[in-house]
Amino acid sequence: MTTATFDMPVGAQKPSSTAGIAVALLLPIALVNAIGFILPVFNLARMSFNEALPGGGIAEAFTAANWTGLLQDSFYIELILNSIMVSLGITLATLLVSYPIALYLHRASGAWRTFLTVLVISPLLTSAVVRTYGWIALLAEQGPVANVIASMGFQPPRMMFNTTGVVIGLTEILMPYMILSLMAGFGRLDPKVEEAARTLGATPFRTFWRVILPLTLPGIALGCLLCFVLSISSFITPKLMGGGRVFLLATEIYDQAIVTLNWPLAATLSMLVLIIFGAALAVYSRVLRMIEG
Amino acid sequence: MMHQTIKRDGVETIGNPHLSLEGINKKYGLVEVISNLNLEVRKGELIALLGPSGCGKTTTLRMIAGLIAPSAGKIAVGGRDVTHIAPHGRDMGLVFQSYALFPHMTVAKNVAFGLEMRGLSRADIANKVAKALSMVQLEHLAERKPRELSGGQQQRVALARALVIEPSILLLDEPLSNLDAKLRDEMRTQIRDIQQQLGITTVFVTHDQVEALSMCDRIVVMKGGLIEQVGTPHEIYERPATPFVASFVGRTNRVKGKRTADGCIRIGSSMIRSATPAGQDDVVVMVRPHRIHIDWNATSTEQDETANRTAAVLSRITFIGDVIQYHFDVDGSEFIVEESTKKSQSSHRHGDKAVLSWSVEDTLVFGADQ
Repeated sequence: MTTATFDMPVGAQKPSSTAGIAVALLLPIALVNAIGFILPVFNLARMSFNEALPGGGIAEAFTAANWTGLLQDSFYIELILNSIMVSLGITLATLLVSYPIALYLHRASGAWRTFLTVLVISPLLTSAVVRTYGWIALLAEQGPVANVIASMGFQPPRMMFNTTGVVIGLTEILMPYMILSLMAGFGRLDPKVEEAARTLGATPFRTFWRVILPLTLPGIALGCLLCFVLSISSFITPKLMGGGRVFLLATEIYDQAIVTLNWPLAATLSMLVLIIFGAALAVYSRVLRMIEG
Repeated sequence: MMHQTIKRDGVETIGNPHLSLEGINKKYGLVEVISNLNLEVRKGELIALLGPSGCGKTTTLRMIAGLIAPSAGKIAVGGRDVTHIAPHGRDMGLVFQSYALFPHMTVAKNVAFGLEMRGLSRADIANKVAKALSMVQLEHLAERKPRELSGGQQQRVALARALVIEPSILLLDEPLSNLDAKLRDEMRTQIRDIQQQLGITTVFVTHDQVEALSMCDRIVVMKGGLIEQVGTPHEIYERPATPFVASFVGRTNRVKGKRTADGCIRIGSSMIRSATPAGQDDVVVMVRPHRIHIDWNATSTEQDETANRTAAVLSRITFIGDVIQYHFDVDGSEFIVEESTKKSQSSHRHGDKAVLSWSVEDTLVFGADQ
């Protein structure tokens, strides 16, 4: 079937030769992935069962102490729950501010749409570090945002070096990913279907609730998965904007690995993040089945 | 034909119309897509907006539905001005060319949607949905999703969804154009039957003259944002108001001629007559191909009061199954004549001479610049 679609000379149209080409083309990336990703993950998993010695030493062992210790320590339980809650909050905030933009972009056409899409993607051209410093400048105690709030006669809240700052910064940083995912998932949304709802007597609000929202759920699910995964694993923004006062999984892994030099614990926390990823993926595919079903 | 029509300022008006469009204009930037459109539709009437793509027929339909706003003019339904009313307040049932079913809802849910928006009770909704689905013979598919249905079935769901709300006007936007030929014929009859049975005022947009002629009470022929002619299918076919209508509805021969002093028309060396007098010197003569009779043996081309006759030479024959087309040369002008085919077709050849004759009544004459 596939061979027939290529204009190959007679004799070259053997299925085995196309399979050979496929293997040859896929082998390099498969090797890179195996050596650069899968092997280290196995290493990390093994490391999480080693024994940590004071002063950064590691003793080869096979003990579940790291895992049981983690799950019995209220600090870590809170850290895990806090990380999940903050990431869910960031995901929700990103969704709320990105959805109208994505919907507008979906409906725009021609050069205007191209221009706006480039505008949406352009923040990705700057590094997250630079953008985070930008937010620090904006949200600082005597910064422009605080001044505007103060000039309106309100007491400006603390927006820096706390969870609020992390949420604001990450929401903005994740917006392009959310908008692109939403647009990718808006394929089923046909303007004619919205018009049909309107002519059948649905107000704009009910059209949104009964037709637009259900049809954009695949995009919402994809965007939320991506942003949740990106925010729970993000390190730079929480580190800089949290000012060492916001404790999240990624920052804790860094501290354990670099500051405390407790590599087995850092490995255990890393594996935990991987498990959360897996859970998010399972929820996503379940949600997708529900939508499509 | 059956109803009395009154001419007012050159606009055809009918007593107490159900739907009326007055001086409708639609501009996109500087481009005027609809210019001063006036139309009145009676209660229970099935009217077609017929024209080539880009003639403004779909734009007109969308303005009636409220999906786009006219730049100027007034739209009224049952005497109520709806020009500035949002689509959900207009009480119209629209069937889209692409059907536009809700892909995430079952057939029954699709049909129920409009009723839910109207706040009917669960029992009423279930009852009406069942009735609407049985009307289009789809009761057995109520729990399916639209993607599991064939094109024809989706089309019937769209129709049931538009009709179940008992709209004051049913709007059909090329509803049959995505169906194959056989299904199209079936649906034509079915839509007409349902429309008659419910007595619902219907506006039908189509580019297919056969649909317009066979289904509708009246036809509005449109071109370039203007109405060319409004009339019954019979009027449109037999008494086209413009050369465009004559050539768009049905097939026709189109030959250039000159008016002579005695009111006849000269085509090459032949002189012909028409029931409608020519308004200018340069004219276009139109005759339907199947209204011309071929006399293979006659030699006389003498005219009489009722028939035009002219000598012709056969230049080409095209066999199309049901009909056979003879292409004749008459002093440099081409005349096509259509005859029904028979099993034992007499054979004619390129270069054969014949006399063509047709009724003076069937001779349509228009000014050449029209």
